[in-house]
Amino acid sequence: MKKTLPLLGLVILLVFLPQFAGKYSLYLAIHVMLLSLFSLGFNLLFGYTGLLSFGQAGFYAVGAYACAKILLAFPSLLAGILGGVVIAGISAFVLGILCIRHTRIYFSMLTLCFGMMIFSLAWKWRDMTGGDDGLVGIPRAPLEIPGLLRLNMTPMENYYYVVLIFTVLAIYLFYRIVHSPMGLTFQGIRDSETRTGCVGISVRNYRLISFTIAGMYAGLAGALLPPLESTVTPPVAHWSHSAEPVLATLLGGIYNFAGPIVGSALFYILKDIIVRFTEYWLICLGIIVLVLVMGFRGGVVSMFYGKGGRG
Amino acid sequence: MKTIVRTEDLGKYFGEMAAVHAVNLNLQEGLFTSIIGPNGAGKTTLINLLSGYLLPDTGKIFFRESEVTRLEPHKRVKIGISRSFQVMNIFPRMTVFQNILLPVLSRLNRNSRPFSSLTSQKEAVAEAEKILNEVWLWGKKDRPAGQMSHGDQRLLELGIAVASNPQLCLLDEPSSGMNPIERIKVLELVKKLAAERKTTFAIVEHDMDVVFALSDWIVVMNRGEILAEGKPDDIKNNQEVRDTYLGEEI
Repeated sequence: MKKTLPLLGLVILLVFLPQFAGKYSLYLAIHVMLLSLFSLGFNLLFGYTGLLSFGQAGFYAVGAYACAKILLAFPSLLAGILGGVVIAGISAFVLGILCIRHTRIYFSMLTLCFGMMIFSLAWKWRDMTGGDDGLVGIPRAPLEIPGLLRLNMTPMENYYYVVLIFTVLAIYLFYRIVHSPMGLTFQGIRDSETRTGCVGISVRNYRLISFTIAGMYAGLAGALLPPLESTVTPPVAHWSHSAEPVLATLLGGIYNFAGPIVGSALFYILKDIIVRFTEYWLICLGIIVLVLVMGFRGGVVSMFYGKGGRG
Repeated sequence: MKTIVRTEDLGKYFGEMAAVHAVNLNLQEGLFTSIIGPNGAGKTTLINLLSGYLLPDTGKIFFRESEVTRLEPHKRVKIGISRSFQVMNIFPRMTVFQNILLPVLSRLNRNSRPFSSLTSQKEAVAEAEKILNEVWLWGKKDRPAGQMSHGDQRLLELGIAVASNPQLCLLDEPSSGMNPIERIKVLELVKKLAAERKTTFAIVEHDMDVVFALSDWIVVMNRGEILAEGKPDDIKNNQEVRDTYLGEEI
Protein backbone atom coordinates (compact mmCIF):
# COMPACT_ATOMS: atom_id res chain seq x y z
CA MET A 1 0.00 0.00 0.00
CA LYS A 2 2.91 2.29 0.89
CA LYS A 3 4.22 1.85 -2.64
CA THR A 4 0.93 1.77 -4.57
CA LEU A 5 -0.53 5.01 -3.21
CA PRO A 6 2.09 7.36 -4.71
CA LEU A 7 1.83 5.44 -7.96
CA LEU A 8 -1.94 5.74 -8.04
CA GLY A 9 -1.65 9.45 -7.26
CA LEU A 10 0.80 9.88 -10.12
CA VAL A 11 -1.46 8.09 -12.61
CA ILE A 12 -4.45 10.25 -11.55
CA LEU A 13 -2.31 13.39 -11.90
CA LEU A 14 -1.19 12.32 -15.38
CA VAL A 15 -4.76 11.50 -16.45
CA PHE A 16 -5.99 14.96 -15.45
CA LEU A 17 -2.85 16.85 -16.53
CA PRO A 18 -4.33 18.12 -19.85
CA GLN A 19 -7.17 19.77 -17.86
CA PHE A 20 -4.89 22.25 -16.16
CA ALA A 21 -1.51 22.13 -17.91
CA GLY A 22 -0.47 24.04 -20.99
CA LYS A 23 0.85 22.60 -24.26
CA TYR A 24 4.49 22.94 -23.20
CA SER A 25 3.88 20.99 -20.00
CA LEU A 26 2.17 18.24 -22.00
CA TYR A 27 5.06 18.21 -24.45
CA LEU A 28 7.48 17.90 -21.54
CA ALA A 29 5.37 15.15 -19.92
CA ILE A 30 5.41 13.17 -23.19
CA HIS A 31 9.19 13.43 -23.31
CA VAL A 32 9.42 12.26 -19.70
CA MET A 33 7.29 9.22 -20.57
CA LEU A 34 9.42 8.47 -23.64
CA LEU A 35 12.61 8.66 -21.61
CA SER A 36 11.00 6.49 -18.91
CA LEU A 37 10.31 3.74 -21.45
CA PHE A 38 13.79 4.13 -22.92
CA SER A 39 15.37 3.98 -19.43
CA LEU A 40 13.27 1.03 -18.27
CA GLY A 41 14.52 -1.01 -21.23
CA PHE A 42 18.08 0.10 -20.54
CA ASN A 43 17.72 -0.87 -16.89
CA LEU A 44 16.40 -4.32 -17.75
CA LEU A 45 19.82 -4.86 -19.27
CA PHE A 46 21.88 -2.96 -16.71
CA GLY A 47 20.14 -3.15 -13.34
CA TYR A 48 18.50 -6.54 -13.81
CA THR A 49 20.80 -8.48 -16.17
CA GLY A 50 24.12 -6.77 -15.43
CA LEU A 51 24.89 -5.69 -18.99
CA LEU A 52 25.86 -2.07 -19.65
CA SER A 53 24.76 -1.09 -23.14
CA PHE A 54 25.93 2.10 -24.84
CA GLY A 55 23.99 1.40 -28.01
CA GLN A 56 20.33 1.63 -26.99
CA ALA A 57 19.91 4.83 -29.02
CA GLY A 58 20.38 2.65 -32.11
CA PHE A 59 17.18 0.73 -31.34
CA TYR A 60 15.42 3.94 -30.36
CA ALA A 61 16.32 5.26 -33.82
CA VAL A 62 15.21 2.05 -35.55
CA GLY A 63 11.82 2.40 -33.82
CA ALA A 64 11.61 6.09 -34.73
CA TYR A 65 12.60 5.69 -38.39
CA ALA A 66 10.43 2.60 -38.86
CA CYS A 67 7.40 4.38 -37.39
CA ALA A 68 8.12 7.47 -39.52
CA LYS A 69 8.40 5.43 -42.75
CA ILE A 70 5.18 3.57 -41.96
CA LEU A 71 3.32 6.79 -41.17
CA LEU A 72 4.58 8.42 -44.36
CA ALA A 73 3.41 5.45 -46.43
CA PHE A 74 0.33 4.41 -44.52
CA PRO A 75 -1.29 6.89 -42.14
CA SER A 76 -2.21 4.70 -39.16
CA LEU A 77 -0.76 5.61 -35.78
CA LEU A 78 -1.19 2.13 -34.35
CA ALA A 79 0.55 0.50 -37.34
CA GLY A 80 3.39 3.02 -37.05
CA ILE A 81 3.97 2.48 -33.35
CA LEU A 82 3.61 -1.31 -33.38
CA GLY A 83 5.69 -1.55 -36.56
CA GLY A 84 8.42 0.49 -34.89
CA VAL A 85 8.43 -1.79 -31.84
CA VAL A 86 8.53 -5.00 -33.90
CA ILE A 87 11.31 -3.81 -36.23
CA ALA A 88 13.38 -2.52 -33.28
CA GLY A 89 12.84 -5.88 -31.56
CA ILE A 90 14.02 -7.79 -34.65
CA SER A 91 17.10 -5.53 -34.92
CA ALA A 92 17.87 -6.06 -31.24
CA PHE A 93 17.49 -9.81 -31.60
CA VAL A 94 19.84 -9.99 -34.62
CA LEU A 95 22.50 -7.66 -33.16
CA GLY A 96 22.00 -9.26 -29.75
CA ILE A 97 23.12 -12.64 -31.11
CA LEU A 98 26.50 -11.00 -31.80
CA CYS A 99 26.69 -8.81 -28.67
CA ILE A 100 25.67 -11.22 -25.91
CA ARG A 101 28.54 -13.56 -26.66
CA HIS A 102 30.61 -11.14 -24.57
CA THR A 103 30.19 -9.42 -21.21
CA ARG A 104 31.53 -6.41 -19.31
CA ILE A 105 33.49 -3.84 -21.32
CA TYR A 106 33.54 -6.02 -24.46
CA PHE A 107 29.75 -6.12 -24.50
CA SER A 108 29.56 -2.37 -23.91
CA MET A 109 31.98 -1.65 -26.75
CA LEU A 110 30.11 -3.94 -29.14
CA THR A 111 26.81 -2.21 -28.37
CA LEU A 112 28.50 1.16 -28.85
CA CYS A 113 29.86 0.03 -32.24
CA PHE A 114 26.54 -1.33 -33.47
CA GLY A 115 24.74 1.76 -32.20
CA MET A 116 27.11 3.97 -34.16
CA MET A 117 26.67 1.75 -37.22
CA ILE A 118 22.96 2.49 -37.06
CA PHE A 119 23.80 6.18 -36.68
CA SER A 120 26.01 5.98 -39.80
CA LEU A 121 23.19 4.29 -41.71
CA ALA A 122 20.79 7.02 -40.66
CA TRP A 123 23.32 9.63 -41.73
CA LYS A 124 24.45 8.12 -45.05
CA TRP A 125 21.50 6.13 -46.40
CA ARG A 126 19.86 9.24 -47.81
CA ASP A 127 17.26 7.42 -49.95
CA MET A 128 15.84 5.63 -46.95
CA THR A 129 16.47 8.00 -44.05
CA GLY A 130 16.76 11.41 -45.67
CA GLY A 131 20.41 11.64 -44.59
CA ASP A 132 21.31 14.57 -42.35
CA ASP A 133 17.99 16.26 -43.17
CA GLY A 134 16.17 13.31 -41.68
CA LEU A 135 12.56 12.46 -42.42
CA VAL A 136 10.21 15.43 -42.29
CA GLY A 137 6.50 16.04 -42.55
CA ILE A 138 5.56 12.93 -40.64
CA PRO A 139 1.81 13.07 -40.00
CA ARG A 140 0.32 12.55 -36.58
CA ALA A 141 -2.02 10.04 -38.16
CA PRO A 142 -5.35 9.16 -36.57
CA LEU A 143 -5.58 6.25 -34.21
CA GLU A 144 -7.69 3.88 -36.20
CA ILE A 145 -9.01 0.41 -35.61
CA PRO A 146 -11.11 -0.35 -38.75
CA GLY A 147 -14.79 -0.61 -37.96
CA LEU A 148 -14.24 0.17 -34.29
CA LEU A 149 -12.45 3.39 -33.62
CA ARG A 150 -11.08 6.51 -35.30
CA LEU A 151 -9.56 9.20 -33.15
CA ASN A 152 -8.10 12.43 -34.47
CA MET A 153 -4.58 12.91 -33.11
CA THR A 154 -4.05 16.50 -34.23
CA PRO A 155 -4.72 18.02 -30.79
CA MET A 156 -1.70 17.49 -28.54
CA GLU A 157 -4.00 16.35 -25.68
CA ASN A 158 -5.22 13.34 -27.69
CA TYR A 159 -1.74 12.23 -28.56
CA TYR A 160 -0.71 12.73 -24.93
CA TYR A 161 -3.34 10.17 -23.89
CA VAL A 162 -2.10 7.68 -26.49
CA VAL A 163 1.45 8.01 -25.12
CA LEU A 164 0.14 7.73 -21.56
CA ILE A 165 -1.75 4.51 -22.34
CA PHE A 166 1.26 2.95 -24.07
CA THR A 167 3.50 4.02 -21.19
CA VAL A 168 1.24 2.67 -18.44
CA LEU A 169 0.80 -0.62 -20.34
CA ALA A 170 4.55 -0.94 -20.94
CA ILE A 171 5.37 -0.15 -17.31
CA TYR A 172 2.80 -2.72 -16.14
CA LEU A 173 4.29 -5.37 -18.46
CA PHE A 174 7.77 -4.44 -17.27
CA TYR A 175 6.67 -4.86 -13.66
CA ARG A 176 5.28 -8.30 -14.44
CA ILE A 177 8.46 -9.33 -16.25
CA VAL A 178 10.91 -8.30 -13.54
CA HIS A 179 8.81 -9.88 -10.79
CA SER A 180 8.36 -13.14 -12.72
CA PRO A 181 10.52 -16.28 -12.84
CA MET A 182 12.12 -14.83 -15.97
CA GLY A 183 12.94 -11.62 -14.10
CA LEU A 184 14.53 -13.68 -11.32
CA THR A 185 16.61 -15.45 -13.96
CA PHE A 186 17.85 -12.08 -15.27
CA GLN A 187 18.81 -11.08 -11.73
CA GLY A 188 20.63 -14.35 -11.27
CA ILE A 189 22.71 -13.62 -14.37
CA ARG A 190 23.45 -10.14 -13.03
CA ASP A 191 24.62 -11.51 -9.67
CA SER A 192 26.66 -14.45 -10.98
CA GLU A 193 26.55 -15.81 -14.49
CA THR A 194 28.69 -18.84 -13.60
CA ARG A 195 26.35 -19.75 -10.74
CA THR A 196 23.33 -19.22 -13.02
CA GLY A 197 24.83 -21.56 -15.60
CA CYS A 198 25.44 -24.09 -12.85
CA VAL A 199 21.78 -24.18 -11.82
CA GLY A 200 20.79 -25.34 -15.30
CA ILE A 201 20.08 -22.05 -17.07
CA SER A 202 21.42 -21.09 -20.49
CA VAL A 203 22.91 -17.68 -19.71
CA ARG A 204 23.30 -16.72 -23.37
CA ASN A 205 19.65 -17.39 -24.21
CA TYR A 206 18.42 -15.24 -21.36
CA ARG A 207 20.87 -12.46 -22.12
CA LEU A 208 19.50 -12.44 -25.66
CA ILE A 209 15.90 -12.32 -24.39
CA SER A 210 16.79 -9.40 -22.10
CA PHE A 211 18.59 -7.61 -24.93
CA THR A 212 15.62 -8.06 -27.27
CA ILE A 213 13.08 -6.82 -24.71
CA ALA A 214 15.31 -3.81 -23.95
CA GLY A 215 15.50 -3.12 -27.70
CA MET A 216 11.70 -3.27 -27.95
CA TYR A 217 11.32 -0.76 -25.12
CA ALA A 218 13.82 1.56 -26.82
CA GLY A 219 11.93 0.99 -30.08
CA LEU A 220 8.60 1.87 -28.43
CA ALA A 221 10.05 5.10 -27.03
CA GLY A 222 11.49 5.89 -30.47
CA ALA A 223 8.26 5.03 -32.29
CA LEU A 224 6.30 7.46 -30.13
CA LEU A 225 8.62 10.32 -31.11
CA PRO A 226 7.90 11.02 -34.84
CA PRO A 227 4.17 11.71 -34.41
CA LEU A 228 5.09 14.22 -31.70
CA GLU A 229 7.90 16.03 -33.51
CA SER A 230 6.82 15.39 -37.15
CA THR A 231 10.47 14.76 -37.92
CA VAL A 232 13.26 12.27 -37.21
CA THR A 233 16.94 13.13 -37.63
CA PRO A 234 20.14 11.06 -37.19
CA PRO A 235 21.13 12.46 -33.76
CA VAL A 236 18.48 10.21 -32.16
CA ALA A 237 20.82 7.32 -33.01
CA HIS A 238 23.98 9.01 -31.73
CA TRP A 239 25.82 7.45 -28.79
CA SER A 240 25.33 10.64 -26.77
CA HIS A 241 21.60 9.91 -26.90
CA SER A 242 22.34 6.48 -25.39
CA ALA A 243 23.74 8.37 -22.39
CA GLU A 244 20.31 9.82 -21.52
CA PRO A 245 18.83 6.58 -20.11
CA VAL A 246 22.15 5.94 -18.35
CA LEU A 247 21.95 9.32 -16.61
CA ALA A 248 18.23 8.99 -15.85
CA THR A 249 18.72 5.51 -14.38
CA LEU A 250 21.68 6.60 -12.26
CA LEU A 251 19.66 9.58 -11.02
CA GLY A 252 16.64 7.49 -10.07
CA GLY A 253 18.35 4.29 -8.98
CA ILE A 254 19.60 1.19 -10.71
CA TYR A 255 18.32 -1.41 -8.27
CA ASN A 256 14.80 -0.13 -7.99
CA PHE A 257 11.88 -0.73 -10.30
CA ALA A 258 10.76 2.91 -10.20
CA GLY A 259 14.32 4.31 -10.40
CA PRO A 260 14.43 4.89 -14.18
CA ILE A 261 10.96 6.48 -14.16
CA VAL A 262 11.76 8.88 -11.31
CA GLY A 263 15.16 9.54 -12.88
CA SER A 264 13.57 10.41 -16.24
CA ALA A 265 11.26 12.94 -14.61
CA LEU A 266 14.17 14.42 -12.67
CA PHE A 267 16.29 14.54 -15.82
CA TYR A 268 13.76 16.69 -17.67
CA ILE A 269 12.88 18.83 -14.65
CA LEU A 270 16.56 19.57 -13.94
CA LYS A 271 17.27 20.15 -17.62
CA ASP A 272 14.30 22.51 -17.92
CA ILE A 273 15.43 24.52 -14.91
CA ILE A 274 19.14 24.59 -15.72
CA VAL A 275 18.79 25.60 -19.39
CA ARG A 276 17.10 28.81 -18.23
CA PHE A 277 20.41 29.88 -16.73
CA THR A 278 23.09 28.30 -18.91
CA GLU A 279 23.45 26.53 -22.21
CA TYR A 280 26.00 24.22 -20.52
CA TRP A 281 23.23 22.36 -18.76
CA LEU A 282 24.87 18.97 -19.25
CA ILE A 283 27.84 20.03 -17.11
CA CYS A 284 25.51 20.98 -14.24
CA LEU A 285 23.50 17.78 -14.68
CA GLY A 286 26.73 15.79 -14.73
CA ILE A 287 27.79 17.31 -11.40
CA ILE A 288 24.40 16.49 -9.87
CA VAL A 289 24.63 12.89 -11.08
CA LEU A 290 28.18 12.68 -9.74
CA VAL A 291 27.11 13.87 -6.29
CA LEU A 292 24.16 11.47 -6.30
CA VAL A 293 26.24 8.49 -7.39
CA MET A 294 28.88 9.23 -4.72
CA GLY A 295 26.41 10.04 -1.94
CA PHE A 296 23.42 7.84 -2.79
CA ARG A 297 24.56 4.87 -4.80
CA GLY A 298 21.01 3.60 -5.01
CA GLY A 299 19.81 6.85 -6.62
CA VAL A 300 17.04 9.18 -5.48
CA VAL A 301 14.53 6.37 -4.90
CA SER A 302 16.88 4.70 -2.40
CA MET A 303 16.47 7.77 -0.15
CA PHE A 304 12.85 6.70 0.35
CA TYR A 305 13.00 2.91 0.10
CA GLY A 306 16.54 2.18 1.33
CA LYS A 307 19.61 1.11 -0.62
CA GLY A 308 18.52 -2.37 -1.38
CA GLY A 309 14.86 -1.54 -1.76
CA ARG A 310 13.44 -2.94 -4.92
CA GLY A 311 10.09 -1.36 -5.35
CA MET B 1 27.18 -50.81 -7.26
CA LYS B 2 26.76 -48.66 -10.38
CA THR B 3 29.29 -46.20 -11.75
CA ILE B 4 27.75 -42.75 -11.95
CA VAL B 5 30.71 -40.91 -13.52
CA ARG B 6 33.60 -42.38 -15.40
CA THR B 7 36.53 -40.66 -17.09
CA GLU B 8 38.93 -42.06 -19.67
CA ASP B 9 42.44 -40.59 -19.85
CA LEU B 10 41.11 -37.16 -18.91
CA GLY B 11 43.64 -34.35 -19.36
CA LYS B 12 43.75 -30.58 -19.02
CA TYR B 13 46.93 -28.65 -19.72
CA PHE B 14 47.74 -24.99 -19.17
CA GLY B 15 50.81 -24.49 -21.35
CA GLU B 16 53.49 -26.82 -20.05
CA MET B 17 51.66 -27.55 -16.84
CA ALA B 18 49.48 -30.63 -16.61
CA ALA B 19 46.65 -29.62 -14.27
CA VAL B 20 44.96 -32.97 -14.86
CA HIS B 21 46.76 -35.79 -16.65
CA ALA B 22 45.48 -39.21 -17.77
CA VAL B 23 42.86 -39.43 -15.05
CA ASN B 24 40.71 -42.56 -15.08
CA LEU B 25 38.14 -41.91 -12.40
CA ASN B 26 35.18 -44.05 -11.39
CA LEU B 27 32.68 -42.48 -9.02
CA GLN B 28 30.29 -45.05 -7.59
CA GLU B 29 26.64 -44.23 -7.07
CA GLY B 30 25.68 -43.84 -3.42
CA LEU B 31 29.23 -43.59 -2.10
CA PHE B 32 30.35 -40.45 -0.31
CA THR B 33 33.62 -39.76 -2.10
CA SER B 34 36.30 -37.29 -1.04
CA ILE B 35 38.95 -36.01 -3.41
CA ILE B 36 42.06 -34.99 -1.50
CA GLY B 37 45.57 -33.92 -2.30
CA PRO B 38 48.07 -31.10 -1.83
CA ASN B 39 47.51 -27.64 -3.28
CA GLY B 40 47.87 -27.68 -7.05
CA ALA B 41 47.10 -31.40 -7.26
CA GLY B 42 44.33 -30.77 -9.81
CA LYS B 43 41.29 -31.36 -7.59
CA THR B 44 39.43 -28.17 -8.55
CA THR B 45 40.36 -28.59 -12.21
CA LEU B 46 38.91 -32.11 -12.08
CA ILE B 47 35.66 -30.74 -10.58
CA ASN B 48 35.62 -28.03 -13.29
CA LEU B 49 36.03 -30.68 -15.99
CA LEU B 50 33.32 -32.93 -14.57
CA SER B 51 30.87 -30.03 -14.28
CA GLY B 52 31.65 -28.65 -17.75
CA TYR B 53 33.10 -25.40 -16.47
CA LEU B 54 36.32 -26.35 -18.31
CA LEU B 55 36.64 -28.46 -21.44
CA PRO B 56 39.28 -31.20 -21.39
CA ASP B 57 42.18 -31.26 -23.85
CA THR B 58 42.25 -35.04 -23.90
CA GLY B 59 40.04 -37.91 -22.81
CA LYS B 60 36.34 -38.46 -22.27
CA ILE B 61 33.76 -38.10 -19.51
CA PHE B 62 30.78 -40.42 -19.15
CA PHE B 63 27.74 -39.82 -16.93
CA ARG B 64 25.74 -43.01 -16.48
CA GLU B 65 27.57 -44.32 -19.56
CA SER B 66 26.44 -41.42 -21.77
CA GLU B 67 29.30 -39.29 -23.03
CA VAL B 68 29.12 -35.72 -21.72
CA THR B 69 32.67 -34.57 -22.49
CA ARG B 70 31.69 -31.41 -24.36
CA LEU B 71 28.24 -30.84 -22.88
CA GLU B 72 27.68 -27.26 -21.64
CA PRO B 73 27.48 -26.74 -17.83
CA HIS B 74 23.77 -25.86 -17.79
CA LYS B 75 22.95 -29.00 -19.78
CA ARG B 76 24.95 -31.12 -17.33
CA VAL B 77 22.84 -29.71 -14.50
CA LYS B 78 19.73 -30.77 -16.41
CA ILE B 79 20.95 -34.37 -16.64
CA GLY B 80 21.81 -34.45 -12.94
CA ILE B 81 25.29 -33.04 -12.24
CA SER B 82 25.40 -30.12 -9.81
CA ARG B 83 28.29 -28.34 -8.11
CA SER B 84 29.45 -25.71 -5.65
CA PHE B 85 32.51 -23.50 -6.01
CA GLN B 86 35.73 -23.13 -4.03
CA VAL B 87 35.33 -19.35 -4.01
CA MET B 88 31.89 -18.35 -2.72
CA ASN B 89 29.44 -18.19 -5.61
CA ILE B 90 25.92 -17.23 -4.64
CA PHE B 91 23.48 -14.53 -5.82
CA PRO B 92 24.43 -11.79 -3.36
CA ARG B 93 21.77 -9.17 -4.18
CA MET B 94 18.93 -11.65 -4.13
CA THR B 95 17.26 -12.87 -0.93
CA VAL B 96 18.19 -16.23 0.55
CA PHE B 97 14.81 -17.59 -0.54
CA GLN B 98 15.27 -16.38 -4.13
CA ASN B 99 18.73 -17.99 -4.19
CA ILE B 100 17.08 -21.36 -3.65
CA LEU B 101 13.95 -20.65 -5.68
CA LEU B 102 15.88 -19.96 -8.91
CA PRO B 103 17.47 -23.42 -9.24
CA VAL B 104 14.17 -25.04 -8.26
CA LEU B 105 12.34 -23.07 -10.97
CA SER B 106 15.06 -24.06 -13.43
CA ARG B 107 14.67 -27.73 -12.51
CA LEU B 108 10.92 -27.52 -13.01
CA ASN B 109 11.47 -25.66 -16.33
CA ARG B 110 9.46 -22.69 -15.09
CA ASN B 111 12.11 -19.99 -15.07
CA SER B 112 11.22 -18.85 -18.59
CA ARG B 113 7.74 -17.64 -17.61
CA PRO B 114 7.67 -13.89 -18.23
CA PHE B 115 4.40 -12.75 -16.70
CA SER B 116 3.48 -15.08 -13.82
CA SER B 117 4.36 -14.00 -10.30
CA LEU B 118 6.91 -15.85 -8.20
CA THR B 119 4.38 -16.58 -5.46
CA SER B 120 2.08 -18.31 -7.96
CA GLN B 121 4.75 -20.97 -8.50
CA LYS B 122 3.42 -22.98 -5.58
CA GLU B 123 5.27 -26.25 -6.25
CA ALA B 124 8.60 -24.42 -6.62
CA VAL B 125 7.97 -22.26 -3.54
CA ALA B 126 7.13 -25.31 -1.40
CA GLU B 127 10.25 -27.11 -2.63
CA ALA B 128 12.45 -24.06 -1.95
CA GLU B 129 11.04 -23.73 1.56
CA LYS B 130 11.77 -27.39 2.24
CA ILE B 131 15.39 -26.97 1.13
CA LEU B 132 15.78 -23.83 3.27
CA ASN B 133 14.74 -25.89 6.27
CA GLU B 134 17.13 -28.67 5.33
CA VAL B 135 20.12 -26.30 5.23
CA TRP B 136 19.05 -24.44 8.43
CA LEU B 137 18.37 -21.11 6.71
CA TRP B 138 14.60 -20.85 7.08
CA GLY B 139 14.89 -18.06 9.67
CA LYS B 140 17.00 -15.97 7.32
CA LYS B 141 15.02 -16.49 4.14
CA ASP B 142 14.23 -12.82 3.51
CA ARG B 143 17.74 -11.49 4.09
CA PRO B 144 19.90 -10.40 1.15
CA ALA B 145 22.29 -13.31 0.66
CA GLY B 146 25.34 -11.07 0.39
CA GLN B 147 24.76 -9.69 3.89
CA MET B 148 24.92 -13.06 5.66
CA SER B 149 27.90 -14.47 7.53
CA HIS B 150 30.46 -16.55 5.66
CA GLY B 151 29.21 -19.74 7.31
CA ASP B 152 25.61 -19.05 6.32
CA GLN B 153 26.68 -18.25 2.76
CA ARG B 154 28.42 -21.63 2.62
CA LEU B 155 25.19 -23.31 3.77
CA LEU B 156 23.29 -21.36 1.13
CA GLU B 157 25.69 -22.49 -1.56
CA LEU B 158 25.10 -26.05 -0.45
CA GLY B 159 21.36 -25.40 -0.66
CA ILE B 160 21.71 -24.02 -4.21
CA ALA B 161 23.68 -27.09 -5.22
CA VAL B 162 21.07 -29.54 -3.94
CA ALA B 163 18.10 -27.46 -5.18
CA SER B 164 18.69 -28.80 -8.68
CA ASN B 165 17.92 -32.23 -7.19
CA PRO B 166 21.09 -33.68 -8.70
CA GLN B 167 22.08 -37.31 -8.94
CA LEU B 168 25.71 -36.28 -8.50
CA CYS B 169 26.72 -33.25 -6.45
CA LEU B 170 30.31 -32.01 -6.65
CA LEU B 171 31.31 -29.78 -3.73
CA ASP B 172 34.58 -27.89 -3.94
CA GLU B 173 35.73 -27.22 -0.37
CA PRO B 174 32.23 -26.71 1.06
CA SER B 175 33.57 -25.84 4.50
CA SER B 176 36.47 -23.55 3.57
CA GLY B 177 36.81 -20.48 5.76
CA MET B 178 34.80 -22.05 8.58
CA ASN B 179 36.00 -22.79 12.10
CA PRO B 180 36.50 -26.48 13.03
CA ILE B 181 33.13 -26.81 14.79
CA GLU B 182 31.21 -25.25 11.88
CA ARG B 183 33.18 -27.42 9.48
CA ILE B 184 32.15 -30.66 11.17
CA LYS B 185 28.51 -29.52 11.32
CA VAL B 186 28.44 -28.63 7.62
CA LEU B 187 30.04 -31.84 6.49
CA GLU B 188 27.69 -33.86 8.68
CA LEU B 189 24.85 -31.97 7.01
CA VAL B 190 26.26 -32.94 3.60
CA LYS B 191 26.35 -36.58 4.68
CA LYS B 192 22.75 -36.31 5.96
CA LEU B 193 21.59 -34.75 2.68
CA ALA B 194 23.34 -37.51 0.76
CA ALA B 195 21.41 -40.12 2.70
CA GLU B 196 18.03 -38.39 2.66
CA ARG B 197 18.10 -37.23 -0.96
CA LYS B 198 19.85 -40.34 -2.29
CA THR B 199 22.35 -38.07 -3.98
CA THR B 200 25.91 -39.11 -4.67
CA PHE B 201 28.32 -36.54 -3.27
CA ALA B 202 31.94 -36.02 -4.26
CA ILE B 203 33.72 -33.37 -2.24
CA VAL B 204 37.10 -31.72 -2.27
CA GLU B 205 38.16 -31.20 1.34
CA HIS B 206 41.34 -30.41 3.28
CA ASP B 207 40.29 -31.38 6.81
CA MET B 208 41.60 -34.94 7.02
CA ASP B 209 39.85 -35.77 10.32
CA VAL B 210 36.50 -35.01 8.71
CA VAL B 211 37.38 -36.71 5.43
CA PHE B 212 38.35 -39.96 7.12
CA ALA B 213 35.34 -39.85 9.43
CA LEU B 214 32.72 -39.24 6.75
CA SER B 215 33.97 -40.69 3.46
CA ASP B 216 33.09 -44.06 1.99
CA TRP B 217 35.75 -43.71 -0.68
CA ILE B 218 38.77 -41.47 -1.05
CA VAL B 219 40.60 -40.41 -4.19
CA VAL B 220 44.06 -38.96 -3.66
CA MET B 221 45.48 -36.69 -6.35
CA ASN B 222 48.98 -35.39 -6.83
CA ARG B 223 50.43 -33.35 -9.70
CA GLY B 224 47.31 -33.81 -11.81
CA GLU B 225 47.18 -37.58 -11.49
CA ILE B 226 45.38 -40.05 -9.27
CA LEU B 227 47.94 -41.26 -6.76
CA ALA B 228 45.68 -43.72 -4.99
CA GLU B 229 42.05 -44.49 -4.26
CA GLY B 230 40.25 -46.71 -1.84
CA LYS B 231 38.46 -46.98 1.47
CA PRO B 232 39.58 -44.60 4.25
CA ASP B 233 41.57 -47.28 6.10
CA ASP B 234 43.36 -48.33 2.92
CA ILE B 235 44.31 -44.74 2.17
CA LYS B 236 45.49 -44.17 5.74
CA ASN B 237 47.80 -47.15 5.44
CA ASN B 238 49.06 -46.35 1.95
CA GLN B 239 52.73 -45.49 2.36
CA GLU B 240 52.92 -43.49 -0.89
CA VAL B 241 49.99 -41.30 0.21
CA ARG B 242 51.55 -40.81 3.64
CA ASP B 243 54.85 -39.80 2.08
CA THR B 244 53.28 -37.42 -0.41
CA TYR B 245 50.44 -35.81 1.46
CA LEU B 246 49.24 -37.11 4.80
CA GLY B 247 52.46 -37.33 6.74
CA GLU B 248 53.05 -39.82 9.53
CA GLU B 249 50.71 -38.48 12.21
CA ILE B 250 47.47 -39.77 10.62
